[in-house]
Amino acid sequence: MPDNFGRLRPTRRELLANGTLGIGGVALAWLLNQENLLAVPPTVKLKPQSFDLKPKQASGEAKARAMISLFMHGGPAHMDLLDPKPELTKFNGTDYPGEVVYSFVNRASKKLLGSPFQFVKHGDCGTEVSELLPHTAQVVDDLCVIRSMHSGHNGHEVSIRYWQAGIPAVTGRPTLGAWLTYALGSESQSLPAYMVLSDPGGHPVDGVLNWSNGFMPPLFQGTVLRAQEPRILNLDPPPHLKGSLQAQNLDLLRVLNRRHLELHPGEADLEARIQSYELAARMQTAAKEALDLSQETEETQKLYGLDKNETREYGTRCLIARRLVERGVRFVQLFLAGQPWDNHTNIRTALPAVCKQTDQPAAALVTDLKRRGLLDSTIVHWGGEIGRLPVTEGDPATCGRDHNGQGFSTWLAGGGIKPGMTFGETDEFGHRAVKDIVTANDFQATLLHQFGLDHSKLAYIHNGQEQTLTAKRECRVVREILA
Amino acid sequence: MCVLRSVRHLSLVIAAMLLAGQPSRSQELTFETHVRPILKAHCFDCHGAEEELKGKLDLRLVRLMIKGGESGTAIEPGKPDASLFLRRIKSGEMPPGQTKVSAREVELLEKWIAAGAKTTRAEPTEIGKGLGITEEERSFWAFRPVIRPAVPQWKNPKLEARSSVDVFVLAKLQERDLSFGREAEKGTLLKRAYFDLLGLPPSHNEVEDFVNDNEPDAYERVIDRLLASPHYGERWGRHWLDAAGYADSDGYSNADVDRPWAYKYRDWVIRALNDDKPIDEFIVEQLAGDEFLNGKFANLSPSEIDRLTATGFLRMVSDGTSDGSVDQDLAKNAVVAETLKMVSSSLLGLTVGCAQCHDHRYDPISQVDYYRLRAIFEPSLNWKRWQGRLKTLYTDADRTASAAIEADVAKVAAQKDTKQTEYMAKALELELAKHPEELRGKLRDAYNTAADKRTPEQQQLLKERPSVNISPGVLYQYLPKEADELKGFDTRMAEMRAKKPVEEFLHCLAEEDGEPPPTHLFHRGDHRQPKDIVKAAMLEIATPPGQLIEFPVNDPAINSTGRRLAFAKHLVSGRDPLLPRALANRLWMHHFGRGLVGTPGDFGQLGERPTHPELLDWLASEMIERRETRVESEGNSAAPSQLSFKRLHRLLMTSTVYRQSAARRPELDAVDPSNLLLGRMSVRRLEAEVMRDRVLAASGSLSNAMFGKSISVAEDFVGQVIVNDMSRRSIYVQQKRSKPETLMRAFDAPVMECNCDKRPASTVATQSLMLMNSEFALKQAGSLAARVRQEAATWRDAELARHANEGLETPPTSDHPLARRAGELDRSLLPPRPSDLWQIGYGEFDDSTKRTKSFAKFPHWTGSQWQGGPVVPDPAIGYSFLNAAGGHTGNDQQHSPIRRWTAPIGGTVSISGSLHHPSENGDGVRSRVVSSRSGLAAEWIAEHKTVDANVAAIEVQAGDTLDFITDCRESVTSDSFAWSITIKLKGTDGKEVAWAADKGFPGQPAPPLTNQIAAVWQIAYHRPITPSEFAAVCGFFRQQFATLTEISSGTDPELQALTDLCQALLTSNEFLYVD
Repeated sequence: MPDNFGRLRPTRRELLANGTLGIGGVALAWLLNQENLLAVPPTVKLKPQSFDLKPKQASGEAKARAMISLFMHGGPAHMDLLDPKPELTKFNGTDYPGEVVYSFVNRASKKLLGSPFQFVKHGDCGTEVSELLPHTAQVVDDLCVIRSMHSGHNGHEVSIRYWQAGIPAVTGRPTLGAWLTYALGSESQSLPAYMVLSDPGGHPVDGVLNWSNGFMPPLFQGTVLRAQEPRILNLDPPPHLKGSLQAQNLDLLRVLNRRHLELHPGEADLEARIQSYELAARMQTAAKEALDLSQETEETQKLYGLDKNETREYGTRCLIARRLVERGVRFVQLFLAGQPWDNHTNIRTALPAVCKQTDQPAAALVTDLKRRGLLDSTIVHWGGEIGRLPVTEGDPATCGRDHNGQGFSTWLAGGGIKPGMTFGETDEFGHRAVKDIVTANDFQATLLHQFGLDHSKLAYIHNGQEQTLTAKRECRVVREILA
Repeated sequence: MCVLRSVRHLSLVIAAMLLAGQPSRSQELTFETHVRPILKAHCFDCHGAEEELKGKLDLRLVRLMIKGGESGTAIEPGKPDASLFLRRIKSGEMPPGQTKVSAREVELLEKWIAAGAKTTRAEPTEIGKGLGITEEERSFWAFRPVIRPAVPQWKNPKLEARSSVDVFVLAKLQERDLSFGREAEKGTLLKRAYFDLLGLPPSHNEVEDFVNDNEPDAYERVIDRLLASPHYGERWGRHWLDAAGYADSDGYSNADVDRPWAYKYRDWVIRALNDDKPIDEFIVEQLAGDEFLNGKFANLSPSEIDRLTATGFLRMVSDGTSDGSVDQDLAKNAVVAETLKMVSSSLLGLTVGCAQCHDHRYDPISQVDYYRLRAIFEPSLNWKRWQGRLKTLYTDADRTASAAIEADVAKVAAQKDTKQTEYMAKALELELAKHPEELRGKLRDAYNTAADKRTPEQQQLLKERPSVNISPGVLYQYLPKEADELKGFDTRMAEMRAKKPVEEFLHCLAEEDGEPPPTHLFHRGDHRQPKDIVKAAMLEIATPPGQLIEFPVNDPAINSTGRRLAFAKHLVSGRDPLLPRALANRLWMHHFGRGLVGTPGDFGQLGERPTHPELLDWLASEMIERRETRVESEGNSAAPSQLSFKRLHRLLMTSTVYRQSAARRPELDAVDPSNLLLGRMSVRRLEAEVMRDRVLAASGSLSNAMFGKSISVAEDFVGQVIVNDMSRRSIYVQQKRSKPETLMRAFDAPVMECNCDKRPASTVATQSLMLMNSEFALKQAGSLAARVRQEAATWRDAELARHANEGLETPPTSDHPLARRAGELDRSLLPPRPSDLWQIGYGEFDDSTKRTKSFAKFPHWTGSQWQGGPVVPDPAIGYSFLNAAGGHTGNDQQHSPIRRWTAPIGGTVSISGSLHHPSENGDGVRSRVVSSRSGLAAEWIAEHKTVDANVAAIEVQAGDTLDFITDCRESVTSDSFAWSITIKLKGTDGKEVAWAADKGFPGQPAPPLTNQIAAVWQIAYHRPITPSEFAAVCGFFRQQFATLTEISSGTDPELQALTDLCQALLTSNEFLYVD
């Protein structure tokens, strides 16, 4: 293909066919990016026709090779969990002095609500953590708590889409997991690269958009691991084909496909389908093995809280997440059904309940990854799309807090993120992020950076337009939190 | 390697240059050609597009750059280092934000300044507002008027060029000294045509007929037949529904509200295509069908309904307005924006969406242009006065008819009431009779008093005696006949109501009369920041310079504004360059797998360039004729409409380029591995729907039913979205945005975020898991196996042998497995089945010789037993019959039922079992075991009881038979019997094998396995099996049998192996891809 000066560049497919560049050689995105050297694109677009999940080398230095995101839907109340606000306690019951950005104006109040929960300093770093997160408090030296997250929008869906896919409210875009697998492929050729661990209670708010491939091929969509067996659909052969019967079937299929390929030499798609059957066959055993928690010691199971009713389910999923990244899965995201952190009412009882469910398993994940030497290369993320307001919502006796996209907290651990630190600040009452604001795009740029990827260059051509995760919006890599 | 590679690259360059179809560029850098596009992408937002100029710097002209802004002159021609503009860019200061000018672009700017900052032509002395449109932009291929190009000359007139299409393609090939490939095999061509036009496989007979049709126009006749098939509309309708973004639910939010009436638009599309609705009408009705109705949306005639249904096209995008929990203004504006996105990508081949917020960065589409388009749709999609999407089809006549029926029903209801009152009173008396006489009066009064009027005393009384509180529901306990009579009234009323006309709706767009809303340009696309009012007009770039085509503000002739109608008529007028190219490209894309422009939804700067621009324009001119030719053809009534999709399908499919084989050729691959030059056909994976339909067709499950409500989907117990009725074609499956059907989604069926310009063809392991293990794949394989067992029986051996010979890769020899008789083949293919050892018949025991005198097989199989004929007693064979457990003796000794067992090997047989005569009448039955070698071995009589029937030892040789004969003795009545028999054979090798007579009871023999395998090949692949495939299948069967026998799963091993074979075929590449 010529560029505008009539110079020649073969298509990616031709490169592959030619063997000049192995698939693993250069991330596809880079190839594409190099093409776009002029505002006027090449005469015939170098658009790849096929995609794969073979592992690819990032162009930059990669600190992380996997990520587990514990997505905390609904807006965890940061001033009750990770962002202590003594002023808020002090002025409890008085009016917030500035403008409050509400979602539910009909239930709104300006009365400040001091946290009903106590904060204590923990670890060598001395980060203050709420009494609701006793296990998280134990691993605080491994965490980087960011207290200045900012979505700028109070709505759930608006912010979720921003957080997952780069632009507030807009749908139809690939999520972070899709971008990572598109850029880096998978280190496991026996497991899906991007896995989603859903909650037995059902899909989170915004449903399947949370793991959408958007405009990318479905190859990069999150594979949902179900909340109960069978955790992967169609993984098991039906009972009457168990054992060598299915293997014999696949042998026959291979013979038929090979013969067909001989009649169509050079058709890469046909070859790829033959290989995809082979991967599927491998997955049948690999995924089974990965999901078999009986291989874990009793001590490990207890660490995650598998012995207790309130933590068993979430703990199981956290443990599965560790086993998956251990086996080369690139990106794992855990969701809760609906949005348990959306505490509009009864925050005094509802918030402790969801903390009880998630605190120990989340902390166990950090502990466990660390002692296995995996934390260095695995980013653990805990956080939601928004936080909550410092003022009461509803009847004071049964009150909750309203949405707050102006400032909230998240924590990260591992993958070259600086441990034992806090970053950024909200105002004295916790409404707005005021110092070192981290937007969703900053957050995404930083995560990609840890994977050796440049958010402004990792591009996918869609409808002839170069698309990026951060959508060319103003953002930066938050270097202050990098180790 | 290196040398080879560079040679190859060189040829690539040349190929690409010729593909580009553009004049070679002068190396002189000019502002218009090289610099302005960079500035447009990076700088004009602040320095030219808007009246307010940042730093008072205007970069739109070179002289303005030299003039400079607040910081002084921006460029000094010839002196890049002295140019502030370049310094700012190089330092990264400009442009602000993330996106920077790339190194190559900077280099280019630098060279341009160094060379003196040349322009192509003298710059204008005046410049108006905004960016305007440059000559370079106007000359871009996609915006030039469509002018029918002359058909090129080509070098070698002997080469097969059947039409102008071929000539255009051939001309490009010949520039590279290439030519067309050979024509595809007939069978391949037929399959290609079927899947392309119908999305369905040919039947066995259709393949046969075509392969044997040696007339020169055999292929053309097939194309004509397919174009006349109603399934054509289903196949090509699906393509159009992709472009329109068809869905049966609203999307937008998690509520994803259903659209129960959207299917009427889907059906409209299918019918329109099947009827070969002229292309212009097809487009105009979808954009403005409602405007033909002149504001009257009641009591519609069929043709009015048809036109209104077409506007479903404009109601397909995701729509949050039915979900009260979302921001309604935002949702309404999103509908307008998405509709524009859909219309522009499907009909105009442009992405206009980004001009919603600012001038398009690459294409000459200004923000004003975007809102001009919006103004076309805003009277009908008015976010301030939002209109519902449903229009009732109920007519006044329907209402009258319905009211009349209701009136009749009311009469019946009144009759019922009278009767019911009467019967209730009767029932009350019957009940009261059970209570003390003195209470009866009081109870009656209490009962007859309305519940809220009862005195406390009455209430108490009824509470104590609740049985008095009788209701119509318990009437049957007192007066069953009368209760039934009342029920009869209900049935009658229900029957009457069922005759009422059913109310149906259209999911459509219907512009109501009224003051049209002003359309504002929204600042940064935000509907809360309306700016200037904009008038409806065509995109400026698609109109001749200085001749903006505006649409009426409000057409006084009709009750709607007429804007969409005017817009639609303009698009099909022959004066618009966008629509004809977009349609022609789409048509080409679906036939050949790739458009002449690879980005069907974007013909702009960022889209791909046409590989065959003249061919595209030639086809576009065929799509929408110029007005003058139209008038001419209208005057000639004999000429069929030129604006026919079917005519164009025929034109493309009968071309030489279409008929080529998909085989790659080294000389072609060296130059054009991606097949842009079309020197061959491309191998393509079936689209999701075609794949699913092909599986259903093969398994025999596919229904021919067309149209109607969408077939609902549901999540199964593991969460897969499955179709509730598997038999319907995929186009009829409910398209729920939040619940895409799992199988089709996995194979890239679109989930309509908006619409779908082009589908990817992905290849992933989860697809393979689905084909290996999903219920769908397993079930359909099972159905195909069952179908084959049944149908293979009707295939004649001779026919099979002929198929076999046709499939031979080498000339047939007598030892070719398929050249032998099918019956013999099974023996070589399979280990013996238990039932092979048994024959079921009747005959006579000869008491004198102690041997079997006669044996004949029963002629009739009922499905569970063998007997003389369909009815017992049979005129000839009488009562005699046998089933797995036992049977009935004959009416005489000559017709005694016999089970005959054949020893597979020599050895010693022992027999265990019992003989049972259940009846208390008659004289019982007599059973004997008779060896063909040694004669009578044992004899028992069972009379009203069970006796043991064991034999210690009988010596046999391989091929010896043992007959198990039962006769009636003296009396022929009550001679049913059960005889359980287990044979143990201790072979000469010492191994012991056992057979139970009931397990091995042979039914109707299945058609020979060879026939079944041949049939599977024909049904799935539409061709005969080859010897090497047959050998592979034999190996597979032996192995599968061995395993199945070993694990003795209880399934029929033969059927299981056949099912597995079917699954392998249905999930193989030959099935999933067409060439």
